[in-house]
Amino acid sequence: MEQINNFPLKWNAPLKKAVERAYCTGRLTDIRGALRHIEKLPFDCVGKSVVVGILRTFTIETLIDHMRLSLSIMPSSPTFVLGELENIEQELQDVDSDFLQANPDFILVLWRLEELYPLLISGADIMSSEQRLNALNELIQRIQQLVNEYKGEAPLLLSNFSIPQQWLGVIHDQHRHYGIAEIVNSLNQLLYELASQNKIKIFNFSQWLMSKGGGAIDQKMDLYARQPISSDNALSYTDAIARVLRPMMFPQSKVLAVDLDNTLWGGVLGEDGVKNLKIGKDYPGNVYWRIQQVIYGLKSRGILLVLLSKNNVEDVEDAFNFIGKMPLKLSDFSVIKVNWNEKYVNLIEVSEALNLGIDSFVFLDDQPFEQEQMRQSLPEVKVLNNRNDPLDMLTVISNSNFFDQFSIGDEDQIRNKDYKSEEARDKLKKGLSKEVFLSSLSLKAEIQQVKIATIHRAVQMLAKTNQFNLTTRRHNEAVIRKMLENNRNLLLTISLKDKFGDQGIIGLCIVLEGEAGDEMILDSFLLSCRALGRGAEDLLWSVVLKYLDERGCKLLKASFIPSLKNMQVSMFYDRLGMDLKSHDKKETKYVMKPPYFAIKPAWIDLKK
Amino acid sequence: MDNWIKLIEAAEAILNLPEGSIDGLSGQDNIESWDSLAMVNLVTELQAIFEVEFDILEIAEFHNIEIIKLVLMEKGIDF
Repeated sequence: MEQINNFPLKWNAPLKKAVERAYCTGRLTDIRGALRHIEKLPFDCVGKSVVVGILRTFTIETLIDHMRLSLSIMPSSPTFVLGELENIEQELQDVDSDFLQANPDFILVLWRLEELYPLLISGADIMSSEQRLNALNELIQRIQQLVNEYKGEAPLLLSNFSIPQQWLGVIHDQHRHYGIAEIVNSLNQLLYELASQNKIKIFNFSQWLMSKGGGAIDQKMDLYARQPISSDNALSYTDAIARVLRPMMFPQSKVLAVDLDNTLWGGVLGEDGVKNLKIGKDYPGNVYWRIQQVIYGLKSRGILLVLLSKNNVEDVEDAFNFIGKMPLKLSDFSVIKVNWNEKYVNLIEVSEALNLGIDSFVFLDDQPFEQEQMRQSLPEVKVLNNRNDPLDMLTVISNSNFFDQFSIGDEDQIRNKDYKSEEARDKLKKGLSKEVFLSSLSLKAEIQQVKIATIHRAVQMLAKTNQFNLTTRRHNEAVIRKMLENNRNLLLTISLKDKFGDQGIIGLCIVLEGEAGDEMILDSFLLSCRALGRGAEDLLWSVVLKYLDERGCKLLKASFIPSLKNMQVSMFYDRLGMDLKSHDKKETKYVMKPPYFAIKPAWIDLKK
Repeated sequence: MDNWIKLIEAAEAILNLPEGSIDGLSGQDNIESWDSLAMVNLVTELQAIFEVEFDILEIAEFHNIEIIKLVLMEKGIDF
């Protein structure tokens, strides 16, 4: 059974049981049973609506209920629009097609060589190497053309290729030029290249297949109805697809709060003593070693680590010093909470100290009691379900999708350093007035138009920023690129550094040309919570107004759109001196006319 | 549970039909949703319920419930 790591908030016990049963049996009747429970849920329990477009070369209709379940437990509320079988290019290029008219949020392309080039698969042995090379070139051209000619806004997710069943293990094919194995490799290389250029996302079908082994493909059903995924593995297949969609639907978790005893090492420090802890090259110490390596890997990707342990802090420091060489050091943790308080109490304090919402946290602990207490006390925290067994814990943390993202930017990698610097800033802050303190930080800012190199960070900020975000509009990369095509639009990023470190890009402002030429609309204004309290928002605002003035803007329109998390900025535009135009539950509208005036924070040095 | 009831209930659930709407002669000639896609789902469901494996020639002959019952009987399932 696949492990369900985290049920959505507010899901009741019968529903959870029905979903667990569906995952246990994999039977369609149980899957539909679980879906019937989900359909009865109130609106606020089902997650946001998404339209998933699917283009394919094989039958996927029989897996739609599986896919619905995989996406529903995220939670989300999916609807599906399917293109005609083997009609991929036509569906993508015809803007009037029913497929594109359904406005899919993502477009999945599930294809196989068996259907893309049947002659190659059936006749590779009677083709010359030149003919096989030609076939490869045709396929490459087809994929490139498809990607380059696609102008839609919904991200394209292309499945990569696997070696067709009849060519698995065929020795002579693996020892010739442009054999099926080489062709599959070359096509997958092309897909990786396109993904690295940010043109597509990849659903790694071949890797999924490898992880499942031979039983994942049902040749009988493939031949009977061109439905190749075996029923035993159907939910795993749709889960794998859902996992790739997840980073486009939900912000990545930012913090891993982790226990120590029987989690980062085997044994209980206070009972077994430091000499008897299990950590090292031999079993079971090697499992804990591997867990530490995985966690260190998360830190390298910008995930903040927090140590939550019921121990004496001196004992823990001694243990780290005594054991010496381990993948994780105490200095790898942004916050260390080693005391006898309840872990959820510690976690609340850490969340306040880091200025991050409780829902940014993932919790790993071997004790079912601690897992359950965290779940009940702070339901927003994602608790990694494990069965108090180190190997299970290793699997759970390695396979967790909460930290998934499509790429790792510079800002991700400096985030850990920056939160460390935050501690130093806090120490300096004590005893100084706000202005004196901020001046002592030697803050330097740079404000720039969004460009190719910073688009990814801009999109990432739009996707992740919740608190200081006036409209919470989650524009994707295609939308940002389109905005940049109009040189009247203003898309500015602000980056900040101080004497403790470089925070990178921490703010974004998008001002779009209005319908009347001399009117501009403030589409988005957001600031990373890492940068709050330094006046960066005021500096960015002053630069925006200067630009608007230079461009002869006669009217600036702005909105505050309330969300569950952005109430701290509900009065932001009032503070900036904008005039209130209208107010209702969903939106507060403001306007501003020249002369524009803004106070620039004196303690930030703006790079010219 | 009686194997006949198991067979009928599975078919009704997979074909999205109300309880009591299927009998032995129900099949591709009189049930609209009985198409090759539904057959994929019905076959996998029955294989799981009765712990048997149908071969592709058997599946091709599944024109109605009675035929499925006969194939299941050949595989040692009592009706």
